[in-house]
Amino acid sequence: MTLTLYHIPDWASSIIHLALEEIGAPYQIVPLDYDAGDLSTPAFRAINPLGLIPAMDTPDGPMFETAAILLWLNECYGGLGPRQGEPDRAAFLSWLTFVSNGPHVTSMAMIHPEYAAGEAAAEEVLRLAFEALNQQAAHLETLITTKAPVWLSTHTPGALGYYLGIVLRWAIYMPHDSTLRFSLAPFPALQAVLAAHESFPAALRVAEADGLGPTPFTAPVVA
Amino acid sequence: MYTLHYAPDNASLIIRLVLDGAGIPYRTALVNRASRQQDGAAYRALNPSGLIPVLETPQGAIAETGAILLWLTDIHKLGPAPADPDRRDFLQWMFFLSNTAHADLRQIFYPHQYAPAEAHAGHHEIIAARMLCHFGLLDAAARQHPALFAPAKPLGAYTLALTRWAALYPVHAPRWMDLAAFPALAALARAQEARVETPVIARAEGLGAHPFTRPEQPNPPEGAVL
Repeated sequence: MTLTLYHIPDWASSIIHLALEEIGAPYQIVPLDYDAGDLSTPAFRAINPLGLIPAMDTPDGPMFETAAILLWLNECYGGLGPRQGEPDRAAFLSWLTFVSNGPHVTSMAMIHPEYAAGEAAAEEVLRLAFEALNQQAAHLETLITTKAPVWLSTHTPGALGYYLGIVLRWAIYMPHDSTLRFSLAPFPALQAVLAAHESFPAALRVAEADGLGPTPFTAPVVA
Repeated sequence: MYTLHYAPDNASLIIRLVLDGAGIPYRTALVNRASRQQDGAAYRALNPSGLIPVLETPQGAIAETGAILLWLTDIHKLGPAPADPDRRDFLQWMFFLSNTAHADLRQIFYPHQYAPAEAHAGHHEIIAARMLCHFGLLDAAARQHPALFAPAKPLGAYTLALTRWAALYPVHAPRWMDLAAFPALAALARAQEARVETPVIARAEGLGAHPFTRPEQPNPPEGAVL
């Protein structure tokens, strides 16, 4: 069963790229070019009507949504977190959904603060998103320090580590206002988990392939 | 037995529609928003973000509406199981509802968390336009996957709650949602109201006689919406 990932390096499809490498699933990549309008073609809209990546072809048909693909891959291959009936499944689902609704959405708002209310409000939108992301990171820090979940740890690669690695990476290096860039420094436990994740073999391979640099999650460098 | 931590006409409504729709027993625990109980230590221990709902289960507390629905689906077989070819459609629309449609609607309800006061009118207009696109996609998805978007099912209940709130909140803002523009969703709303549990839920949360086809401001017998 070969999977096909529609991909732009350092977009959310890099999260799926990391997951695919981690589980060792057979896959191929279809590189897309945003500037060439590849996300707006009728062919791509048939795969994802939203015109967003990641999208992935499976033997059952196409699918989209980062967290949905992560769960689906975990159900097929394992290796990304607790599956149905396994211990701590309930907490894993809560926090995967939290990352999807929280840090992923908030980081996107920090990259494109003009989307919410226009250019004039962008600076304040960025500031509000920056504060929200810090609060969300604080919840994750508390989770790691008080509950020590295996599925978000320094010793076991998992969907959440890779997911957070990419979305926090964007918030660290992309915001235009350098005073409103996210820092992992106040969140040492989270930083340790992400440092471990960027050192796992699958992450090293994806960092090379996607040009993410040597410390893509903890100290991203602009290519 | 499950305990659903709820406030009337909050996202806990979605879980209630699904639990009652499947005949799954549970008890409710009111989160009193009037006294900001969701910010108290007891509730924050259940869900650090303070968001409603939380479902307490024998396997621990679950936060996030989408996560609760995924968990209930797997335990009680309310939708496609892993390896079912429709599983991917189910998962992708669940997360679309959660991180895109629900998240954007939240921006309209609580604009001060997302944009400066002087930009709220423009923010409202931009996000409302985005929501109409989302409802268009959901209308098409509901046509394509009627079994997934059935009343009382996780995706159906989630979608209907969003259409209801879009018509009602925030109270003092321009209205922009017309369910008639989304025929599959309007049919879903009628089908949900035809189910026996709907009036019972509507009475418990004060949602009126037609909570989905003709939403009106709630008048809950206990608790506070905001």
